[in-house]
Amino acid sequence: MFSALDSLKPALQSLVQALHREFRYASVLAVQDNARRWSVSQAGVNISSQGFGGGTGFVVRVFDDTGCAEYSFNRFHPQDVPEIVSLMKERLAQQNAALQEGQPGLRPLATPIPADEPATLKKASPFRLDPREMGDQAIIEKLTAIRQKSLATDSRLLDAQLGMVYRHVRKLFLSPNRDLDQSIMWTTCSLAMAATRGEEVKFCYHPFSNLGGAEVLDTVEDAVEQVSADTIAMLESQPIAPGEYDCICDPDTTGMIVHEAFGHGVEMDMFVKDRALGKSYVGDYVASPLVTMHDGSAVDEAATMFFDDEGTFTGDTIVIEKGVLKTGICDALSAARLGTKPTGNGRRESYERKAYTRMTNTYFQPGGDSVEDMIASIDYGFLLQQPSSGMEDPKNWGIQCMVDMAREIKDGKLTGRIFSPIVLSGYVPDLLKSITMMGSDMKLSGSGHCGKGYKEWVKVSDGGPYIKARIRLG
Amino acid sequence: MIERIKRALAECSIAMWRINDTREETAELFFVKKQLDTRRFKDVRKYEVTIFRDVEGEKPGRGFTSLTLLESMGDQEIKDQLADAYYAAQFAANPTYDLADPVQAPIVEKTDILAKSPLAESAGKAAQAIFAPDVHQDAFLNSAEVFVVHRAQRILSSGGTDVAYTDAKLEGEFVVQCLEPEDVEIHNAFSYDSLDTQALSQKVEEALTFVRDRAHAQRVLKSGKYDVVLSGNAVVTVLSYYRDRAAAQMIYPKYSTWQVGQAVQGENLAGAKLDLDLCATAPYSEEGIPMADLPLLRAGELKTIHGGNRFCRYLGVKPTGQYRKLRCLNAGLPFQELKAEPCLWAVTFSDFQMDAMSGHFGGEIRLAYLIEEGKITPVTGGSINGSLFDAQAQLAFSNERYEAANYSGPYGLRLKDVNVAGVGD
Repeated sequence: MFSALDSLKPALQSLVQALHREFRYASVLAVQDNARRWSVSQAGVNISSQGFGGGTGFVVRVFDDTGCAEYSFNRFHPQDVPEIVSLMKERLAQQNAALQEGQPGLRPLATPIPADEPATLKKASPFRLDPREMGDQAIIEKLTAIRQKSLATDSRLLDAQLGMVYRHVRKLFLSPNRDLDQSIMWTTCSLAMAATRGEEVKFCYHPFSNLGGAEVLDTVEDAVEQVSADTIAMLESQPIAPGEYDCICDPDTTGMIVHEAFGHGVEMDMFVKDRALGKSYVGDYVASPLVTMHDGSAVDEAATMFFDDEGTFTGDTIVIEKGVLKTGICDALSAARLGTKPTGNGRRESYERKAYTRMTNTYFQPGGDSVEDMIASIDYGFLLQQPSSGMEDPKNWGIQCMVDMAREIKDGKLTGRIFSPIVLSGYVPDLLKSITMMGSDMKLSGSGHCGKGYKEWVKVSDGGPYIKARIRLG
Repeated sequence: MIERIKRALAECSIAMWRINDTREETAELFFVKKQLDTRRFKDVRKYEVTIFRDVEGEKPGRGFTSLTLLESMGDQEIKDQLADAYYAAQFAANPTYDLADPVQAPIVEKTDILAKSPLAESAGKAAQAIFAPDVHQDAFLNSAEVFVVHRAQRILSSGGTDVAYTDAKLEGEFVVQCLEPEDVEIHNAFSYDSLDTQALSQKVEEALTFVRDRAHAQRVLKSGKYDVVLSGNAVVTVLSYYRDRAAAQMIYPKYSTWQVGQAVQGENLAGAKLDLDLCATAPYSEEGIPMADLPLLRAGELKTIHGGNRFCRYLGVKPTGQYRKLRCLNAGLPFQELKAEPCLWAVTFSDFQMDAMSGHFGGEIRLAYLIEEGKITPVTGGSINGSLFDAQAQLAFSNERYEAANYSGPYGLRLKDVNVAGVGD
């Protein structure tokens, strides 16, 4: 697998050398991608290896007198090296000329060339069952069987959608001083069920993910009964009366708050732009002392990697420690501009896109409370589940997160009443400082992708334990 | 490359296939304030191959799989990948359907300035258009991204389709900021199919006004039911519900029960009866289906079920391809009058969403104007959580038009009695 990059590696090293003769810095990221998606639903059976995963290709980065420039391409033969060098010079000259016409105010953003300390690495993530070895037939049969079992749970179900996706990617990062090589495989599954109330279609889902292979499929069947019961219960859901409530967030909802409400706000390319309030709160309390927040590859989940897309080794960044904001996460260019060290968070949607500061596996560290004690502690409030979407607001720390399910709690007990859909809003530090209980078991989910603004989708995971907090719902 | 793929398909005894040959070139500029952060260029070419396979037996069916091939692959690698996909296709069998009808036509070339100018030149002009209004002291551009895209597409199939077209787009985003009295920002995205530098500059100018108002906005919105006025992209988002619900891929699996002739807004409408068109943004769909503008709704009645080949065939309707642009023909009052009566004009959200499944729309408010008798208050915070099932009987539109790559229609939309969660309770 992935032998094509082995044969191209000497030519890619020649390309870096040739570019470095013309430019102050040069590197190349080569990506070889292997991905497939299987799905079974009322719409039919689908198998596809197209349209996701990022694809196979190359991106070179250089620095000229104006600053950083990149070229993405997916056709490369060893004899193409001189042509790529000429093309970079020609297109940069054209672009620089076009920028000088008519807008004298535009000037380069001063950027020191990122450090290129010597390093070598060749490493692969482990997996137990290669989806390619399991085979299309076995995977479709397994998904179909779980779908049939799901539909048999309740005749009111309109559909059960089963899906599995894997991506096995090899990345080679070459610069004058670095020779890094990693192979990573993640696999995710999803179980969603739908039921209708008139024109309204109600959905519930359960995500599954790992840093690994098709072994994740073994866990899907266990969730069938719960997802079915939740979907049917949603048929009786009502709109919520807006207000501020005592809430318990399940680990998926905790993950959405960690990621959307706070995580985006400590992406340090936002510090460069003065777009993140977090920049001025480093060293201050921004959360309850119960909160310690991590980002990085200290856990094995779908966003774990050994180095990022700029050739920086990944690690474990403690963003919040016992309520105090310690640091942000950073890509290499932003670190150079801010005079700090990158944290291995420079990530691209694909070789075709720019690298930004991006989260990886982001989570709250567990505490010592049980979910039963949390529920028992609430006179009136809600257990929030089924997060559906969220949007960052690093500048003003506003929260927008949506969940599909709020279970009513009255006098310390779940009543069985469900409210949906729910918009969470408010001010991030208010929410984080209101956390009074932190669950003892942590769960991460890496089934989704994260956008920056409305684009640049990268694989992430997020999560944590159950938390109890005060949250404005509407 | 096309001939290499065809040869490999034949050697693998694959009789039914489609090839989408896409070449994309871009020039991309990234700015932090008025400083150039990064320049990027892209030149990629992908051959996306879809392979169909008939399955016989008790339940005969037709399966398909798709994969991406690259020029740098060797002949044996191409053959191996096609054989693997062909093997997989037998396990993805669905009820049999006819493949898309064959079409042959000369290439359709886009010939406007955006398509014909060098990428770097258009990117430079777009950057100038973005920064031209950035002359104020209090409100300014925080950052911007510009993407100029040239795309060439050729679609071939085993059934005889051979069509091609070229396309060009100007896309990107910018963030405007105002420091006083509160340091705030507003994110804006843009997408044009021409080098419309005037519209882009106007959009920036308008955003600068909005961010100035957001800096003065108060967190005083109280919870309750409001008449909500939406404008610009939020109107597009709400109306996308009607396009999504009329899609064959929603109707075939019964997520939508809509039928042609159905009054999809309901009966006895007190407000506007919707007149919507589906607008073609490319001459052919990705399956090679010729695309043309089609009526979607007339007076609130469904005229067209649209979608890709397989689901349309299942429903017995003509395959149309998938549409990304809506035209709304409705008009009504001047925008000033639309928002003259007490209402909440919600201008920007952190992320405004319309869920076509549940009929719910909503989002957290970044800037809204609370319009009461003789008083306009900029407000921020709180959220809208509405149901289009409840609101669609009393829609009102503005006369002013709004143009975007995915929409042409009224700028403003008024919805009655929408749930709003406030912050000033």
